[in-house]
Amino acid sequence: MAVRILLVDDHPIVRQGLRTLLEGRSGWEVVGEASDGIEALDKVETLQPDVVVLDVTMPGMNGLEACRLIQQKRKTSGLEVLFVTQHDSPQMMREALDAGARGYVVKSNAAHDLLEAVEAVSQHRVFTALARSPHA
Amino acid sequence: MKLRILLADDHELIRRGLCALLQKHEGWEVCGEASDGRQTIEMARQLKPDVVIVDIGMPHLNGLDTTRQLLQHDPNFKVIVLTITDSDQVIREALDAGARGFVLKSDAARDLVAAVEALQNKRMFFTPRVNDLVLAGFLEKGHAISRNEAPDLPTLTAREREVTQLLAEGKSSKEVAVLLNLSTKTVETHRSNIMRKLNLHSIRDLVVYAIKNNIIQIQVPELRGTRESTVA
Repeated sequence: MAVRILLVDDHPIVRQGLRTLLEGRSGWEVVGEASDGIEALDKVETLQPDVVVLDVTMPGMNGLEACRLIQQKRKTSGLEVLFVTQHDSPQMMREALDAGARGYVVKSNAAHDLLEAVEAVSQHRVFTALARSPHA
Repeated sequence: MKLRILLADDHELIRRGLCALLQKHEGWEVCGEASDGRQTIEMARQLKPDVVIVDIGMPHLNGLDTTRQLLQHDPNFKVIVLTITDSDQVIREALDAGARGFVLKSDAARDLVAAVEALQNKRMFFTPRVNDLVLAGFLEKGHAISRNEAPDLPTLTAREREVTQLLAEGKSSKEVAVLLNLSTKTVETHRSNIMRKLNLHSIRDLVVYAIKNNIIQIQVPELRGTRESTVA
């Protein structure tokens, strides 16, 4: 199944790293990038991605706020949010899931967890993995 | 002949991003990737890259000590330091260590290619803030950089700094001994010397010293944006 992915992170190098990890997967397409929550909302509207890979800490509008607003759109689409963040904390993971995210991956483990996480959330399954205690 | 670059960062995600950025440049190749300082030194000795890009906050051996050891082994190595902060102290230490380039990670997409190009052309590359600091130090003191706030690092030997980092990372003397290929007794001697020289009385004091002097870096993520969270 084709999966359209939007990457949202304020650091271009991180977006490039995510893109490199995802592009090898047949059938997946990175349809766009955004550098903060406000731009992400615009691009969700125009690009209609299936999965938004979202950072938590960003200028302008942070990822949690953006996720809550994306959820309002989700009611009419199959859109899912996967957080990829440096916050390696159960509290933040809980906040992310409360905000409506389907997945949570820590940046230090992204190279290991990202593909499995995108696959899971694109099929509307939950995937969460902190750095020291991965569990899907 | 291609310019060969060795890339060192403990996060594979960042390495992937940097690698993609550098590989786009015609005539450059990433000849190796390392995830800690010790591996960087080994790979640099084997691969003899033209440029080494080193993250400061790496485990086991931080980027500054990696730079020092690389240049001690071969002063011809050209090192660019990647950092999350451009505080005066970090800048000073990077220059002291012998780095020829200094790039903020947040600006790497914009500055890293320019930095490598500069080194390729036998020039140096620093952020505007580094240039300002160097110039200010030169004008005020007649030296490259004022040393009024220089940390008390020179009191430790290179080996003691390595031991300090590993202990501050939470490793036991036995684990440090295995990593450095020393006996546990030797590590204990280093540990005693370090504590005595720095007048420290506990591992907690040692960790604080290591953080203050950039031997280890603690990155505490903040939540920015419109709504503050209970977890900052």
